[in-house]
Amino acid sequence: MSFGQRVDLALADPILKIAVERTAGTAEAKRKIAVDAFPAFEDARTRAAAIKDHVIANLGHYLEIFETNAVAAGAKVHWARTAQEASTIVIDLCRAAGAKSVARSKSMLGEEIGLPHALAEAGITRVETDLAEHIIQLADERPSHIVWPAMHKTREQVSALFKAKHRDPHVEETITAMAESARRHLRTEMLSADVGISGANFLIADSGSICTVTNEGNAELSVVPPRVHIVTAGIEKLVPSMPHAIHLLRLLARSATGAALTQYTSFYTGPKRADDRDGPEEMHIVLIDNGRSAMAADAALKEMLRCIRCGACMNHCVVFRQVGGHAYGGTYPGPMGAVLTPALDGLSANRDLAHACTMNGRCQEVCPVNIPLPTLLRGWRERSWREGLEPQTMRQGLGLWRRLVLRPWAYRIASANAVRAMRVLARGGWIKRMPLAGAWTDHRDMPAPTGGTFMAQYAKGRRR
Amino acid sequence: MSARDAILGALRRPVPDDIAAQAAALVQGNERPPEPAGTLVERFTARLGGASVAATLDRVAALHEIPAAVGRYLGEQGMTPALYLPPDPLVAALGWDGFAITDVALPDQPAALAMAKAGVAESGSLVFETGPGAPMLPNFLTLHHIVVLHADALVDRLEDIPANLSGTRAHYWVTGVSGTTDIEGQYVRGAHGPRFLHVVLVG
Repeated sequence: MSFGQRVDLALADPILKIAVERTAGTAEAKRKIAVDAFPAFEDARTRAAAIKDHVIANLGHYLEIFETNAVAAGAKVHWARTAQEASTIVIDLCRAAGAKSVARSKSMLGEEIGLPHALAEAGITRVETDLAEHIIQLADERPSHIVWPAMHKTREQVSALFKAKHRDPHVEETITAMAESARRHLRTEMLSADVGISGANFLIADSGSICTVTNEGNAELSVVPPRVHIVTAGIEKLVPSMPHAIHLLRLLARSATGAALTQYTSFYTGPKRADDRDGPEEMHIVLIDNGRSAMAADAALKEMLRCIRCGACMNHCVVFRQVGGHAYGGTYPGPMGAVLTPALDGLSANRDLAHACTMNGRCQEVCPVNIPLPTLLRGWRERSWREGLEPQTMRQGLGLWRRLVLRPWAYRIASANAVRAMRVLARGGWIKRMPLAGAWTDHRDMPAPTGGTFMAQYAKGRRR
Repeated sequence: MSARDAILGALRRPVPDDIAAQAAALVQGNERPPEPAGTLVERFTARLGGASVAATLDRVAALHEIPAAVGRYLGEQGMTPALYLPPDPLVAALGWDGFAITDVALPDQPAALAMAKAGVAESGSLVFETGPGAPMLPNFLTLHHIVVLHADALVDRLEDIPANLSGTRAHYWVTGVSGTTDIEGQYVRGAHGPRFLHVVLVG
């Protein structure tokens, strides 16, 4: 299915927009309160960007330091060039551990490398422990947001799902009762897993620690009880030391949920020590490139490696708020996804994503690491044009436009005629159908022009 | 070529001689959220009681008053005086007569006690480290998380937390109860782990 078809489906779904609006709207309001209470936020994000840029410029150096320290702490470090290599490493580790079931704590990287599918193929039971991922798993769907993967589901849909799939489902139709139903259902499954798999929000070079943040505490319940803990992490997750992680953590939670910190922030350094009472016997850290080293060397993309996966860009995106996350088609939706997906999955199949943007700049304004997302999206548009990926109609249309705008007299005649034609088509100030503009008028009415062209108004002295 | 060599090879760049100084300078004098006036204890307890952390607080003068404080809390919650205690000699020495004590946390453990290493005024966070006397799992299984914290272990900022990451397996910050906003963004307490957080501040 093409991007355009997915968008049509999303726009035609009456429930989706309500569901997206409920969660994204709440997130937007909470973030604003948190950022307003941190007057130096603008300088803090400039610094956060500088920290990430420093790491990206010296990524090889920090990876080697991280590896040395993680190994010294008793962890095993694995390297994967591609998504395929990464999921093969994870599956082999699960098999070596004799794993029948794994508890997985939500990580977008796990989705990126196709881990849910790889585990199913290997016949290993996957227990998704994040509540939203659990909902997605029961519905056999994909995440639609990087922080709230089940954002597209309404409470009514979740209720029906739990009643169909939980052993001891809720009776009362409240969100609290639904969460309790999941708690009862997941607790036993989590505690009996053979392997726990998590991502990492940060890799701390000078200690070899990995950091996870959750509000549910599901990461801890997933990775502490099993005998083996496997961490999958993108190589861009490195920070030099704890103070750098702290600076980024302050921005991460505020940008994602509006909290000062997530409820649980955990740092793990190696497996269980000899005198520890719990924790895994083995800790494996899979460092995954999957296109990141190429991005680090690409001036038009390397700023994307600053991303700390807070989701603020999508919460504030007018396009995302209309179509939700599934329409984007890749692992990562919204503005950050529109930049990342062509880099991960290729531009030719994903060239439409960069066009699904109004260039209003909201995403960059709210980004805690100041990623110039509109600039990076424009970069994809230009690359798509240069590589000849834009369709013939687009190329011809723009060619026509170019000829017109280079001849102001012709442009004025054409636009004056267009205004006249649009007035003829309008009923009560709105245009319901217009030739050549079906993409607009199929979904909404277009406002009719008032008062003639800009140049006509300018000539009369009404505009300057 | 191994995957490791390929990735590191692709990233190979000259490393600046002063990279350590550069890294240190990046966090030197970093921006932090403003702190209200007040002592460490006042600021910490205000955060603890705020909507985000939403913990309850009891204050005692000395360690030996802890069992009585814990009994009070459990009584107020309408619970029997039953409790998981970590295998910490300091905790055992407090004397728990009248309590049903367990040293194995159940999957649906009603209440567990833990000793915090530090508390952070900036965020209301409680800091824990694993060790022979401090397992991690009970603090996530329990419904009521009862935390003992010495007032002199309070620090101002997250950066002030005494953290020796290489020294312990797990170092973790608890800043509230297990919560979720995964269904329509509405906040629910007690998603997987504790629904209640109770702090006994000593001193």
